[in-house]
Amino acid sequence: MTTAPYNYSYIFKYIIIGDMGVGKSCLLHQFTEKKFMADCPHTIGVEFGTRIMEVSGQKVKLQIWDTAGQERFRAVTRSYYRGAAGALMVYDITRRSTYNHLSSWLTDARNLTNPNTVIILIGNKADLEAQRDVTYEEAKQFAEENGLLFLEASAKTGENVEDAFLEAAKKIYQNIQDGSLDLNAAESGVQHKPSAPQGGRLGNDAPSQKEGCSC
Amino acid sequence: MTTMADTKADISGDSPLTQNSGSVTPQPNNPLSRKLNKILETRLDNDKEMLEALKALSVFFTENSLRTRRNLRGDIERRSLSINEEFVRIFKDVKEELESVNEDVQAMSTCCEEMTNRLKAAKEQTQDLIVKTNKLQGENHRLEVRAQVAQAFLGKFQLSSEEMATLRTARDGPVTEDFFKALNRVKQIHEDVKVLLRTNQQTAGLEIMEQMAVLQEASYEQLYRWAQNECRGLTQESCDITPVLGQAMEALQDRPVLYKYTLDEFATARRSAVVRGFIDALTRGGAGGTPRPIEMHSHDPMRYVGDMLAWLHQATASEKEHLEALLKQVTIQGVEDNMQEVVGHITEGVCRPLKMRIEQVIVAEPGAVLLYKLSNLLKFYHHTISGIVGSSVAALLMTMEEMHVLSKKMFFNCLSLHASKLMDKVELPPPDLGPTASLTQTLALLREVLASHDSSVVPLDARQADFAQVLSCILDPLLQLCTVSASNLGTADMATYMVNCLYMMKTTLALFEFTDKRLEMLEFQIEAHLDTLINEQASYVLTRAGLSYIYSTLQQHTPEQGALANLPSMDNSSVKGAMVQFDRYLSSPDTLVMPQLNFLLSAAIKEQIFRQSTELVCRAYGEVHSAVTDPANGYKEPESVLLRSPQQVQALLS
Repeated sequence: MTTAPYNYSYIFKYIIIGDMGVGKSCLLHQFTEKKFMADCPHTIGVEFGTRIMEVSGQKVKLQIWDTAGQERFRAVTRSYYRGAAGALMVYDITRRSTYNHLSSWLTDARNLTNPNTVIILIGNKADLEAQRDVTYEEAKQFAEENGLLFLEASAKTGENVEDAFLEAAKKIYQNIQDGSLDLNAAESGVQHKPSAPQGGRLGNDAPSQKEGCSC
Repeated sequence: MTTMADTKADISGDSPLTQNSGSVTPQPNNPLSRKLNKILETRLDNDKEMLEALKALSVFFTENSLRTRRNLRGDIERRSLSINEEFVRIFKDVKEELESVNEDVQAMSTCCEEMTNRLKAAKEQTQDLIVKTNKLQGENHRLEVRAQVAQAFLGKFQLSSEEMATLRTARDGPVTEDFFKALNRVKQIHEDVKVLLRTNQQTAGLEIMEQMAVLQEASYEQLYRWAQNECRGLTQESCDITPVLGQAMEALQDRPVLYKYTLDEFATARRSAVVRGFIDALTRGGAGGTPRPIEMHSHDPMRYVGDMLAWLHQATASEKEHLEALLKQVTIQGVEDNMQEVVGHITEGVCRPLKMRIEQVIVAEPGAVLLYKLSNLLKFYHHTISGIVGSSVAALLMTMEEMHVLSKKMFFNCLSLHASKLMDKVELPPPDLGPTASLTQTLALLREVLASHDSSVVPLDARQADFAQVLSCILDPLLQLCTVSASNLGTADMATYMVNCLYMMKTTLALFEFTDKRLEMLEFQIEAHLDTLINEQASYVLTRAGLSYIYSTLQQHTPEQGALANLPSMDNSSVKGAMVQFDRYLSSPDTLVMPQLNFLLSAAIKEQIFRQSTELVCRAYGEVHSAVTDPANGYKEPESVLLRSPQQVQALLS
């Protein structure tokens, strides 16, 4: 039995969805690299980023799948909702159409993820106050009506970007704590480490890490 | 001299008085007188001795009597005696004291002498000892220096007992930070000891070197076993690489074989984890059925295959991450290749289940469009996953490529089958000369294929590549079909039918990218048929308007035949009659439309035919006009024959 420390206690899988050009990839980039990507190319299919962050005193590795907003990738990106613990649903506060499409994104998210999946609504480009096309209040109301977390953020200035990911993670962690998220289930979007051996397939020859996963 | 002696005797008080009295002589200068004189001359005050003597005498001679005088001498002598006796007695004491002192001094001297001797002896004895001690001290110092050197040497070239213990006990216990420190020390020593080989400490150097080498091997062996064991345990879906394991890989990179074996072990463990995860995702899904098992969607091929590939994409990315964590500290060359190779190995296990399922989908003949979509999807994921696995010959990529090729092949098969079915049963053109049902269907298929191509996730340049093939696979048989089915029709019917068909194809293609070449070709073909139709329409009008005979005769007319007016049916009245008919046409040109033109699907084409055929009619009229007005042709009063100038006709018709 090893006593070596682990890098993190949980892995949370996230997915970022929303219309084309709302800044999904920029949010991810800002979050993982702490930099703003000025001329970000269209995402082809799905891209991927990770970061370890502290959530309620636990080290959590976020594995984030950034999907393409273009309609033609819709069929592909739908396959990535599977087993996401958190979904970041992004719209652009300066483009009303991206806000209007939220219900379609939300339908996808609801249909393709677990009931426990935490969805956070993010109004991106909050730095462009002058061009605002969607008020904070109405988006907030939309979020409340649909039971979503909500934040306005700016991938450019970095404002609230960290929080967006963190808020969702906190909520997921809370779900774990109160037991509504079953960790032992595969594809819950959350993996706990060190995990208890599953099933008897390991046999006795493999020295498994038996550290207590009491949940 | 005698005097002196006498005086002396006097002073000593022996008996000066008696002497004086005894030797009195009357002679002057006799001794007596001299004596007397002398006495008389004596100044008692100045004679201190005398004063002292008298003073002393006065103490005991208290009674001046004869008897006492007579006895004086005796008294004095007695007194002197007693004083002397006293003196002797006291002196005896002194002497005794002195003797005792002498004795003591003597004893001391002896003692000292003895001590001196002993000291001397001791000194003689210790001389040797001192020399020895000095020697020993020197030795001691030398030894101390040597000890320090030895200590330093050991410190530099040997492991501490703790380090040794760390290396030794790790056999079963956990490998810790200290183990690596110790291992690094061994390595360092092994490295440093080379310095010794350059000095004359070669034997020591070699010995240490060997010792370290042995130790190193043992430690690496141990580390390898531990790391192998650790890796073997990493069969969970989630897999956190402990920093120590990363360190172990860093250390093991010095032993390529062990390093490779450990990586193999890791890959094998991960491979089975990925396979299990994949099968679970396929058949079990998540907790309580959400997400649902992927196989639940097997009725929807796109979703089924898409979900599988997306799952694999994510798994591959995760595995790459694990591997990156594992090999983070490895610095040897080609780590990147190494990783790709290992990721390739890890994902090898899922190839079979994946292949089986995709093959099933493909073989189930889901239709051309789906096959095409599938092939595009596979290509897309091939592209996406090769971004992670690298372009190496990973089995997963090869499987995907294979499936891509298969689906594409099946797609083209499907198209060819469709085409050959078309040719098997050639439909006759419908009475309205519109496109046949099979044409419409095939074009719908093409549209669907192209639409899926348009929305395909494959990058643009890759999309264009197989486009020509798709187009020729569908369009070429279609064209052939149209030609065959039109072969029994009359010219105008055939041209109309063909234009309609070609027009349908053109409008279908025009919606999509990369079709310009084909469109151009279709355009040419349409134009060829249009010419036919224009001519047909023009002759239709000329015939109906009565100009046909006149126009053709006129065209065939040669000056040898004589004046035109003299030819049969070309006389003034005939021409005039025809002109009346033509005039009727001019009053309502729209009534003379070839029936086929109404079947044309495109109003624009119809319009174009109408316009161009009208031009031809005008031109024909122009020719007739100029022939009639030509005096050589012998028409009388041509103005009465031809009521309208060509310009007028043109104006009326346009």
